[in-house]
Amino acid sequence: MKRRGLTGCIILTLFLLVPSRAAAQEKLRIVTTLPDLAYLANEIGGDLVETFSIATGYQNPHFVDPKPSYILKLTRADMFITVGLDLELGWVPALLNSARNSRIQPGGEGYVDASIDVPLLEVPTRASREEGDIHIFGNPHYWLDPDRVQIVARNITKALNRLLPANKSQFDENLEHFSTRLDSLYVEWKERMEPYRGAHIVAYHNQWPYFEEAFGLDIADFLEPKPGIPPTPSQLALIIRHMQQDNLKVLIIAPYYKQDAANLVVSRVNGVVVPLASSVGAYDGIDTVFDLFDYNVELMVNAFESATE
Amino acid sequence: MATNLNKFVIRTLTCFTLWALFSYSAVAQDPDSVVAVDSLLLELQRDLGALTPSLPRQNTFRARPATNPDISVIGDIRALIFSEGERNFDFELHEVETAFKSVIDPFARAEIYIAAHNEDGDIEFELEEAYLTTLALPHQLQLKAGKFRSNVGKINRIHPHALPFPDIPLVYENYFGLEGLNDQGVGLSWLIPNNSFYQEVSLEITRGPHHSPSFDVAGNNRFLYTTHLKNFWDLSADATLELGVSGLSGPNQRGMTSFLGGADLTYKWKPVRFNTYQSFTAQMEVFLSKMETNDDDISTWGFYALASYQFAGRWFFTGRFDHSDLPDDPDWNENGFSATLTWYVTEFQKIEFGIRRRWSEHFDSMYTGVVRAVFVMGTHGAHEY
Repeated sequence: MKRRGLTGCIILTLFLLVPSRAAAQEKLRIVTTLPDLAYLANEIGGDLVETFSIATGYQNPHFVDPKPSYILKLTRADMFITVGLDLELGWVPALLNSARNSRIQPGGEGYVDASIDVPLLEVPTRASREEGDIHIFGNPHYWLDPDRVQIVARNITKALNRLLPANKSQFDENLEHFSTRLDSLYVEWKERMEPYRGAHIVAYHNQWPYFEEAFGLDIADFLEPKPGIPPTPSQLALIIRHMQQDNLKVLIIAPYYKQDAANLVVSRVNGVVVPLASSVGAYDGIDTVFDLFDYNVELMVNAFESATE
Repeated sequence: MATNLNKFVIRTLTCFTLWALFSYSAVAQDPDSVVAVDSLLLELQRDLGALTPSLPRQNTFRARPATNPDISVIGDIRALIFSEGERNFDFELHEVETAFKSVIDPFARAEIYIAAHNEDGDIEFELEEAYLTTLALPHQLQLKAGKFRSNVGKINRIHPHALPFPDIPLVYENYFGLEGLNDQGVGLSWLIPNNSFYQEVSLEITRGPHHSPSFDVAGNNRFLYTTHLKNFWDLSADATLELGVSGLSGPNQRGMTSFLGGADLTYKWKPVRFNTYQSFTAQMEVFLSKMETNDDDISTWGFYALASYQFAGRWFFTGRFDHSDLPDDPDWNENGFSATLTWYVTEFQKIEFGIRRRWSEHFDSMYTGVVRAVFVMGTHGAHEY
């Protein structure tokens, strides 16, 4: 009886010994849902952090499999950064529930919802699935606008300052550097896009409202009849008629959608399919947020030029 | 008399005032006037500049989790046709499952599933699962308590509506019952600190299920012990492999002990880039059973193997072969083959067409055809991988 009590005590003590936080020289382990967030965390955290993005840049971020191997990453993470707004509703909760890591649970010191303070578009006044796969908080694809990326970068900096307060000045400096560069490049991108301000285009899925707003475009129609529902032949016929009537030539599409329907449509209206990058890492060579906007602006400008020829 | 009249007048006036106030407030809440206020608000926002949609109240909206639990309702409706019997066509409301899920506090979350089942034509309610899971135990431990589907094999924990076929494999039906192994107790799982691949081991102690084919509840302090080891490897970005080993031991219906050992192997392929268009799963499970009786021990076994192919964005085809003994009868065995075509209308609705042949040396072949529709209302979170 005595011995059992002793054993009990030892086991209890062992379990109460919470593993001590990463030693000072170890890097802060950050897991993000999207590569864009991992890039920002790396840019601001510098050599004090190591990052891992669960989704790749060419994967549909709504539908990522919650593989157990990601749980391993989350178990050891000091920080978890999510796009939020239910973009990752299909897989993040399953991963967090199994992560056994209270630091990165919602409300924990390492949980970062990147959407905080980001002004949202398309916040529905009435949420009904009659409208397809809608997002009740607003459209979640906000990282495609440089101004909103600035807000995300600030959110990440705040979180880094919270977890590593001793390095605050370094993070603030990195943010300042990033922010200035993005601001000045954004001016250049807008200048390049200026001749096409207000241009009407067509998109496959409703994921570009922030890009549209940031670069003065006007998306007139979508191939998906309702978000998340693949285009039907009758929808394609409507789109073709719409594009013919309004002389629309440019159709934008993310890398994870097959282009058959888009190709069919543009072949009837003598237009072009523009495979825009929807995230950092969407295509080879897009390794930074700057690359992302460079690439997209370049593609749009080329598309408009070829469409006017 | 005069005082009475006064009282009357005062009461009447009071009533009238109250009524007037009431109707005024009703007028103020008239939908039209609300619209007027909203449109004024919109005008003001427009005048104030482009970025005013950043209403601060949105942030409170976005904060998850809410105090209300996430609620979802999943329906499973069927039409059936059989090769045998005088009444060989039927409709069935197979199940309506209501799920409540919420974080309780920073340390635990709870899930409750209430199901309405069809039991021979009558609708019966059942508490399918209700359990608490810890979120913040040290050493990568997780404790679970309540009533839950046991962690054995690969599909026991999956709710029937989420399976890619309307019928469960014969080995599950024969060893654990039509609804799988589901019991009350506690479970502890540990994520083994292995850096090269995922390993999770769990131990569950439950009271013993009522009249499950393999196990029963004992009159004394004997319980059902369930262990499971899950190993998971990423073979490539597109392919994964999972190998599980299960062990069970508990009191049986003969007052003795039954032992079950199981292994499950799952291979999944899904391209990362066009991740919604095509996928492939191959899966098999085998269970070996030893049932102690007053005479000789009875050793039996069963297995199933399935392949599921997503051949277009919303279409899946699944084929499965079953072979199974019965845990308490060494002379009985039966086979099954089922083929299912699944169409996901959207993420929230699927329609399945299934056909199943069940045969054995003990009876003539039986055929069943099923059409089932599964729909989801509310916030339905992800399933485990």
